[in-house]
Amino acid sequence: MSEPLVQLRGLEKRYGERTALRNIDLTIDECQIFGVVGPDGAGKTTLLRSIAGLLEVKAREARVLGHDLTADVTELKARVGYVPQSFSLYRELSVLENLSFTARLHRLPEAEFAARSRELLERTGLAPFGDRPAGALSGGMRQKLAIANALLARPALVVLDEPTAGVDVVARAEIWALLQRERREALVLWSTSYLDEAEACDRLVYLDNGRIVADGTPAALRAKVPLELYRVWSDDARAVARAARALPYVQGARAAGRFARVEVQQARTPGVDRVLHDLSELPGGTVRFAEQTAPDMESTLLGLAERPA
Amino acid sequence: MIIQTRNLTKRFGDFTAVDRLSIQVERGKIFAFLGANGSGKSTTIRMLIGLLRPTEGTVEVDGVDVIHHPRRVRDRIGYMGQKVSLYQGLSIRENAEFYAGLYGLAGADLERRWGALRERFSLADTEQEKPEDLPAGIRQRAGLALSTLHAPRLLFLDEPTAGVDVRSRALFWELIQDEAAAGVTVFVTTHFLEETDYCDWVCFIDEGRLIADAAPEELRRRYSGGYRVALEGAPAPRDRIGQLFPGGQIESTPAGLRLVLPTLEPAALAALDRLVAEQSGLRVHIEQPPMNEVFRRVLGERATTGGAA
Repeated sequence: MSEPLVQLRGLEKRYGERTALRNIDLTIDECQIFGVVGPDGAGKTTLLRSIAGLLEVKAREARVLGHDLTADVTELKARVGYVPQSFSLYRELSVLENLSFTARLHRLPEAEFAARSRELLERTGLAPFGDRPAGALSGGMRQKLAIANALLARPALVVLDEPTAGVDVVARAEIWALLQRERREALVLWSTSYLDEAEACDRLVYLDNGRIVADGTPAALRAKVPLELYRVWSDDARAVARAARALPYVQGARAAGRFARVEVQQARTPGVDRVLHDLSELPGGTVRFAEQTAPDMESTLLGLAERPA
Repeated sequence: MIIQTRNLTKRFGDFTAVDRLSIQVERGKIFAFLGANGSGKSTTIRMLIGLLRPTEGTVEVDGVDVIHHPRRVRDRIGYMGQKVSLYQGLSIRENAEFYAGLYGLAGADLERRWGALRERFSLADTEQEKPEDLPAGIRQRAGLALSTLHAPRLLFLDEPTAGVDVRSRALFWELIQDEAAAGVTVFVTTHFLEETDYCDWVCFIDEGRLIADAAPEELRRRYSGGYRVALEGAPAPRDRIGQLFPGGQIESTPAGLRLVLPTLEPAALAALDRLVAEQSGLRVHIEQPPMNEVFRRVLGERATTGGAA
């Protein structure tokens, strides 16, 4: 059997006094879209940067694409396409100039650069804007350029730190399509705070406080979540949500369209029948209809967040 | 109407950023203002709050003609931008004192107001911390607290949840819905389309032009396959269902029946309630078409009708 693409055992990253990552065990065997999720400050960026070979780390074992993260990572870096959270391309350079600059760094042959950059510009919809300075692109286009730039030299590992933050739904769909296609040849590792994107990943790790709290397919994570989710349909869902928050076992409740979504911690639930009964007795609105539903990605992430460390 | 624009237009040289935009925002509602990156959202907001003079058209906010009295508007509104305007180096508490000073709020009045906000926005534990040391979610909450210090009747929130984790987003929307319940009008932009379900009205612009302007439920009716109601567990008589839901379509599924309804009106909810009471053992599960899907259709339609440049 060939070596895993990522093999981390007991990885730790400290910044002075603060431990950003602790005892990270992670094995990724094959190319896929791998999502890193978790609350702000959980260590997502640190984990991504560590795997991209951009940080000095300690570990019992830390191998990425066969390279040891605790040794010289120059060769690894040449095989990784990395997109940081903040825009990192040259604002004064045009779209094409940015790509050509990256191609030179990777010593990409001219013909290969021409073919690959044409392909990526087509796929990102940036082809008509080749001469536009990167700084004059809209937010969504900038992100697409940054990703195209990271994909240019056909890296075996693509690491993207919240590439879709602040990006509109159409550009997000284009970015997703771009990554979908790359996953056949590369491991795509990314962080996102969009629920639909987390749901669409092949596998997710949930980080909290520098630790991996959960690791598995989105469906496996959903199955583990210690929350019950209810919906109360009503002609005044907002009033129902407010009233639901007053129930002692309710974790959170918000009106979403025609229903109030109500989250109950498994550890505190008085039982489904009792909850459904209480919910249908709530004041607010004139028509009410309560049901329990399977946890969605939102309640999964909320449930993992509430788990005692 | 607390906001009313007519043919609001802004041109920068040859470029028309906002094109004859006429919108109306009702008092006490949560109004979602959506659009792709670069579609003219921020330009519109800047005109609404008197920071940018329109090229053409009129704009009235809370009864004030913004073009002629931009200052008067700014005293009546709260604003929170994409980059929360908290001063680094000052604690949250000191930031509050600074902003309070701008609004002439001091002494016991400040103590009372900030005390209440600190409680409501769960900032008691963090008010001595500096924003740069806090996670994005808490920073965002502090930003919202500060933008409501002077108890404005109208709040402008420009992508308040960008880069904020799911738990903080959930809490944030509970607070916003409470504000609306207390009579505050909220004008909000977001790229999390599922959040439009937390709003009363949705306006979508593209290339500076209005392409959708309706309640979320109305957008669903026009741009989705409708609500799907699974009726399972006990055989429900088709005739009775047809009688109770005159606008619905009934389909057979392996587990029972499926009812497809274009919208979920209170009458339909009441009918479901009746059906469950009549048929013991009947399990009902309602699926609401997700807003992501709705907006892909809105944009798809615009593309096929040639609305896009």
